Amino acid sequence: MRRKLIPWLVPLALLLLWQVSGSVGWLSNRVLPTPAAVLAAGWHLGASGELASHIAISAQRAAVGFAIGGGIGLLLGILTGSSRIAEDLIDGSVQMLRTVPHLALIPLVILWLGVGEAAKIFLVALGVLFPIYLNTHHGVRTVDSGLIEMARVYGLGRWDLFRKVLLPGALPSILIGVRYALGVMWLTLIVAETIAATSGIGYLAMNAREFLRTDVVVLSILLYALLGKLADSVARWLERRLLPWHPAHAVALPAALPGEGA
Amino acid sequence: MSTGVAVEAANLHRQFGAKVVLRDLNFHAEPGEFVVIVGRSGCGKSTLLRLLAGIDRAERGSIQISGEVLIGLCSSARMVFQDGRLLPWLRVGDNVALGLPKDNDGRVRDMLDRVGLADRIRDWPAILSGGQKQRVALARALAANPGLLLLDEPLGSLDALTRLEMQGLIESLWHQSGATTILVTHDVEEAVALADRIVLLKRGHAEDEWLVDLPRPRDRSNPAFSGLVQSVLGHVMEV
Ligand SMILES: Nc1ncnc2c1ncn2[C@@H]1O[C@H](COP(=O)(O)OP(=O)(O)OP(=O)(O)O)[C@@H](O)[C@H]1O
Ligand SMILES: [Mg+2]
Repeated sequence: MRRKLIPWLVPLALLLLWQVSGSVGWLSNRVLPTPAAVLAAGWHLGASGELASHIAISAQRAAVGFAIGGGIGLLLGILTGSSRIAEDLIDGSVQMLRTVPHLALIPLVILWLGVGEAAKIFLVALGVLFPIYLNTHHGVRTVDSGLIEMARVYGLGRWDLFRKVLLPGALPSILIGVRYALGVMWLTLIVAETIAATSGIGYLAMNAREFLRTDVVVLSILLYALLGKLADSVARWLERRLLPWHPAHAVALPAALPGEGA
Repeated sequence: MSTGVAVEAANLHRQFGAKVVLRDLNFHAEPGEFVVIVGRSGCGKSTLLRLLAGIDRAERGSIQISGEVLIGLCSSARMVFQDGRLLPWLRVGDNVALGLPKDNDGRVRDMLDRVGLADRIRDWPAILSGGQKQRVALARALAANPGLLLLDEPLGSLDALTRLEMQGLIESLWHQSGATTILVTHDVEEAVALADRIVLLKRGHAEDEWLVDLPRPRDRSNPAFSGLVQSVLGHVMEV
């Protein structure tokens, strides 16, 4: 109980300090509105339904972009991880493209696709693709060759070999890629929405800036942080769900008690 | 109960780069026979077993399983490796079911029962002891009723006490299954305890062999037992 509470002490103290500094006037509202003011702005925007619609559109862009980029990265990674020909054919090119920072493409993407949904989804997909690809490729490639050999001796066909050996063996690495890609996803979205958008959390912030609504700007930043945290929690949950056999999670198993000797 | 296959290997030659590991090796096993291969580390025991399983191919020579020339993987063979090679992401029961046809619950349960691990069917391999892991590997190998059981130092990483227990288990499993069994080991005493016939691998071929004509289960205090151990050991160590 105590160990659960202690980590919260410092953040709570800072929050209190922030609120007090604002209330007594040490901190101008222009620079940083008080937590209470941010909360009030959130309440206000939430009540009008505006907040929900901005969050929804941002989340949608993130999800669609992630699904497209992650899907392509996963497929390519599996392909190049399990086939030499595919690796020789594709891997070099992907590695080369990877060296281009995807955010540097923003001007070009705006020229191609305008400032609509397609541009933002494209950027997110592109940013997500590489970490997923790299980790999938690496994961499949580094599955214990002894296990693959064993599976062949035990008569597993290509599909079963993939389903029962390659994919589960690569999964820990793939999930590391997923967590990393989630970070890239939000970062890309923040930049893209800040530069060119007519909706979404980034737009909310930029619009508020024009009207000097610092409270809404801070609210937007906090929203991004919250969504990022949420995505990370989902990734952790996925890890626990998909890797129950992994030593990192196996500790929680009740059956882990040392039983009778062999 | 399956019927063991006959194994006939003639003039096998296998080399890695310039290093010749097996040269003109002849080897055979009768259906249902328990053959133990002994030899120093690096003499090519695993290499031979891999050829018999069809994992690797010999540069020259031929292998016949029940009179048929072996091409590709040997479908009637199952192998147990020194390091077990259980899939960590499959539960014990699913590991045993690997490569079995569907609807195999009864078979899996029965096999785990035979190795004394029926109650661990839902466990992850990671939480088993070394000996238990090898028991699961044995159950998995025998689940599909193989005609040929290849054991590559399956007890190599176990402590002495567990080894003794496991030797008894291997003998009884062999007896029940009827599979032709080829076991590779460093341990000459283990060889004498289990083999119908011991083959010494040296200089790339089968240099010597001994028929072990002692009643099973073997009595280690029998002078004939220790005499044979000494004799085989002498030949293994001799350069
Ligand atoms: N894939 C390979 N590439 C190159 N050399 C190999 C390969 N596999 C085996 N060898 C060599 O062949 C020789 C025989 O190896 P093998 O594994 O068959 O020995 P072993 O008798 O099983 O030894 P141990 O008792 O230590 O397991 C060794 O010198 C080894 O270095
Ligand atoms: Mg070996």
